[in-house]
Amino acid sequence: MVDMETSEPIRRGLTARQAGLVGCVRCGTVHRRGTKECRTCGARLHSRDRMSLQHVWAWWFAGLFVYIPANLLPMLRTEILGRTVDSTIIGGVIEFIAHGDYFVGIVVLLASVAIPVGKFIAVAYLALSVQFGLKIRKHRRHVLFEVVEFIGRWSMVDVFVVALTAALVQLGFVISIVPGLGAVCFALSVAFTMLSAQSFDTRAIWDRIEEQDQT
Amino acid sequence: MTDTDLDRLIACPTCDLLHEVAPVEPGYKARCRRCHTVLIAPRRQSMDVAIALAVTTTVLMIGAVSFPFLSMSQSGLQKSTSILGMVAIFDHGLMIVAGAFVAMMVIALPLVRALALIYTLLPLRLGRKPAPGAKRVFLFAQWLLPWAMTEIFIVGTMVALVKLMGLASVSFGPAFWLYCILVVVVAFKDASVCKWSTWKLLNQSAAA
Repeated sequence: MVDMETSEPIRRGLTARQAGLVGCVRCGTVHRRGTKECRTCGARLHSRDRMSLQHVWAWWFAGLFVYIPANLLPMLRTEILGRTVDSTIIGGVIEFIAHGDYFVGIVVLLASVAIPVGKFIAVAYLALSVQFGLKIRKHRRHVLFEVVEFIGRWSMVDVFVVALTAALVQLGFVISIVPGLGAVCFALSVAFTMLSAQSFDTRAIWDRIEEQDQT
Repeated sequence: MTDTDLDRLIACPTCDLLHEVAPVEPGYKARCRRCHTVLIAPRRQSMDVAIALAVTTTVLMIGAVSFPFLSMSQSGLQKSTSILGMVAIFDHGLMIVAGAFVAMMVIALPLVRALALIYTLLPLRLGRKPAPGAKRVFLFAQWLLPWAMTEIFIVGTMVALVKLMGLASVSFGPAFWLYCILVVVVAFKDASVCKWSTWKLLNQSAAA
């Protein structure tokens, strides 16, 4: 049985913050406002993480900063019969499509261009909309965040493709492939944007949706 | 309200909405009313299954790094690689950073997550007090979840295969099949752990 005092906020559909409480983002345990550390899992508690957006932006800029050389530097360096050919992400995609390798071309295009660019835009849009209270249709902002969090890590596919290709295509003088510096920049860019999305305090997104519903 | 009163509540980690904790039957999931995040999802014999799958993951990973992964042949020349050989491709200067990422995401972190789960759950299963630092270890393993990329690696392998098939004939080594099984085992292992129930158990046995 739940007594009146605890069942009241549930009946009214309140968040922990609105009820003057703090919820742990790691395990869900509820505490009185002002508690510093979760009694269940030991994680630090914030009613809303004020530093969250600054971390989101810091990782976002770091990710964008390395995404530029990731596109300009070669991902792969191919040596065929003594001749060296560098290929960037876009260059590789064009080559695959030209050879009729549509599947590989489209996967690389999705993983290395569409997902990262989409993620930069989506995270910036979400962060700005939380910061300035921009109006977005109900739930759309949250769906967008889930997409970012779930899809973002799949960009790493291209780094694995590069690693396997380079490890296998080592046929002496005939043909050999080595990874280029673009692969390092790309891996860093994926890691930084993942950290950016992980820093997001999702509860702030829902606070905004709540405010819009009431007006 | 005392802590005991507050223990009747759960705040959704994603959207902060308060819910009343109700007993959930094994096999069912309690989701947040507003954002549908899974809050409580107990499983029957959850601990036995989770420990067994974590041990399986460890064994499979040891096998997957020990055997050849893929091999390629063209005009009499042959090259085979293991997963470690793939990491070793990034062997100089800044490239080592990319090698470290691949090694972590493909080998180390999935293994660390499995070992962390064994470290957290095994003492509880044996009815002992939690191992030292068990809470921190379990928390860290949760944080690592998106960084362990077994399934993404297998998809990357498929793409590399399609890419190379036009160039030469490619064949699979034992490590490839072991890693495919590993991806499935990891997915079942992750689904078998209910965070909420595990935290409750960790606290109960620490207090006992």
